[in-house]
Amino acid sequence: MPARAAKVLVVDDEPQIRTLLKATLTRAGYSVVEAGSGREALNAKTIDKPDLVLLDLGLPDRDGLELVTLLRNEPRTALIVISARDQTEQKVAALDLGADDYVTKPFDTEELLARVRASLRQRLASEAERQVVEVGRITIDLLERMVRRDAEEVHLTPKEWILLAELAKHPGRVLTHHALLRTVWGPAHVGQTEYLRVAIRALRQKLEDTPSQPKLIVNEPGVGYRLIAKV
Amino acid sequence: MTEAQSRQAHPSIAAGIQSYAGAVALVAVSTLIDLWIAPRWGTAAVDMIYLPAVLAAAALWGLGPALVAGATAALAYNFFFTEPVHTFRMDRVADVVTVVVLLIVALVTSRLASAIRSQAQLAAAHAVRNATIAGFAGRLLSCSGAEDIARTACAELHRLFDCNVMLVEGLPEPRVVSGAPDGNRLTPSDVAAAALTIESGEPAGRGTARLQPAEWMFHPVRSGEDVLAAVGLARDDGLLPVGEDDLPLLANLLDQIALALARARAEDESREVAALRERDHLRSALLSSVGHDLRTPLTGIIGAAAELRHDGGNDPALVATVECEAGKLERYISNLLDMARIEAGAVKLKTEPVDLVDSVAAAIKDIRPTLGDHPVSVDLPDDLPLVRADAELLHHCLINLIDNAGRYSSPKGPIRVAAAAARGEVRLSVEDEGPGLPQDAERALDAFSRISGSDRKGGTGLGLAIVKAFAQAMGAKVLASNREGGSGAIFTVLFPKMLVVKASDTADAG
Repeated sequence: MPARAAKVLVVDDEPQIRTLLKATLTRAGYSVVEAGSGREALNAKTIDKPDLVLLDLGLPDRDGLELVTLLRNEPRTALIVISARDQTEQKVAALDLGADDYVTKPFDTEELLARVRASLRQRLASEAERQVVEVGRITIDLLERMVRRDAEEVHLTPKEWILLAELAKHPGRVLTHHALLRTVWGPAHVGQTEYLRVAIRALRQKLEDTPSQPKLIVNEPGVGYRLIAKV
Repeated sequence: MTEAQSRQAHPSIAAGIQSYAGAVALVAVSTLIDLWIAPRWGTAAVDMIYLPAVLAAAALWGLGPALVAGATAALAYNFFFTEPVHTFRMDRVADVVTVVVLLIVALVTSRLASAIRSQAQLAAAHAVRNATIAGFAGRLLSCSGAEDIARTACAELHRLFDCNVMLVEGLPEPRVVSGAPDGNRLTPSDVAAAALTIESGEPAGRGTARLQPAEWMFHPVRSGEDVLAAVGLARDDGLLPVGEDDLPLLANLLDQIALALARARAEDESREVAALRERDHLRSALLSSVGHDLRTPLTGIIGAAAELRHDGGNDPALVATVECEAGKLERYISNLLDMARIEAGAVKLKTEPVDLVDSVAAAIKDIRPTLGDHPVSVDLPDDLPLVRADAELLHHCLINLIDNAGRYSSPKGPIRVAAAAARGEVRLSVEDEGPGLPQDAERALDAFSRISGSDRKGGTGLGLAIVKAFAQAMGAKVLASNREGGSGAIFTVLFPKMLVVKASDTADAG
């Protein structure tokens, strides 16, 4: 934990959810600011300058996606959206607008804390920490462009490396199918999800203990992939 | 002759007498003028004075009075002005010519005049007819709804043709929508004529080519190819309701009724569409609001339980029970909402190539906390083809199938999730080692459609119904069978060839 506790702005119109989130986050050592509406959230963003925003997409007074853009930029702030189960399209849209991650109601608090840590990591981790990512038996060295399983080097194709590196640059965070396709294959191929599936499968066969039951690279149905990393 | 017709006859006879008298009077006036002129300037211009009288009679009253005027003028000329005077004898050829010319002028002029007059009458009749049609159309235009149109049309036709009118529609047994006057009954032969009219789009019944024994005469109300209804006409006195002359007018009026009915129908349809849209909107708003209202407290309960777990000082088993049961409740709510979405036809499909490895892993991760102690084994070949599916719908299918397998097994009964490709198809199956399904395979599949079963284990029928509906939405099939060599049920999602992604399509992924 850094010297100053990271500040989290919780935006939800339900007071009991805010209370719960405050209890969970406080226990984990964060300082918490609450907002019950879009307007309060925008005020709090200016006044309290939070490090991370937890935003419920279903606020009554403002469109959730509009708030994603407003709360995330100027200054840039980590942002996690909270959404209902049947709002996959909205989740993906929020991620494409720059949200770092999402949780679905009802959420598991441990999972929520893992997402918060992963999203804050980018701002708080040191240079050295960012260069080497360890996932289970796998070590990904982003600077040396090298992957090791235990001590042994794993050989990847160029596309596999770009894909794994992209996931490793955001450990623990979900990256949408679109975002990955754009980075690895280019904007012309964002519709070709099958490329992504095949490359992920190849990576799993080289990195996972049991490729048919992946533990390192996991999929969020309809959303994207996540590299499970201890943060 | 009816009363109305005889009343009309009298004035026309009186007018006839008047016009003949007028013709004679005109000639008399001309004669008086001539008698005044002749002694002073001679008889040379006398015959000319008669011409205006004959012309006027022809123009004003037609052929008969014109001929009378011509003849009277000839006689008067002969009597008063030709030698020998005051006799009807004529000695000079010129006088004979004058008499003949007067008669010819009378004949020709009256012909011309009567032709002009009958054209004028025709134009007037047309104007009346157009006014009738326009008035009729106008009254129909102000009607709202098909029934109002039928009522107005019947009343108007009743007034215009002075006969009984009804509007019938529907097959095979046409029913009376409206009538003027009300309360007319149809005999079986009338019903047959009405049905024939609606079916064929041609007139039938009395005074037409077909089914003449009927009392009523039926004409179709057609809009393009469709026959919207039929209009029946009849008279109490048994005469033909509409004469040959009035058929074109009737046809015109029927076209107006057709236009009005078609318009009313289009309005009804657009209103219905609007209402449907409104209802769908309301339904989805209700669904999302119910979903939100139910999940918010659950989120609170699950989160609070997690905090209690961390707190220590509580019985961990009790806290785990709260978490597990709240998780189950969450899934029931999800299933209820999914079912409501299916019933409302609000399932949106977002198909993409899916790796079943992803689907199975995600489903097991989500169901694990509420699955109890059932071990779950996964058997997916490394070269399993991708399938085209909606990742989310498939996720809910799998969760329900695994949950169902857990429900029907002994507390620690193993569950196996497996997939295999064969003959271009991909089969994804969930097996348990419970008692299995009833012998009859058909009955086992029936369970899918049973939504509100009295199943003690609760929610099962709903879960399987959702599996079936979602699979169908994606174009996949669900099969139920029993395990061979040991008890247990197998539920299989079958992805047909067209949903399986060929390996060649993914070759250039790099």
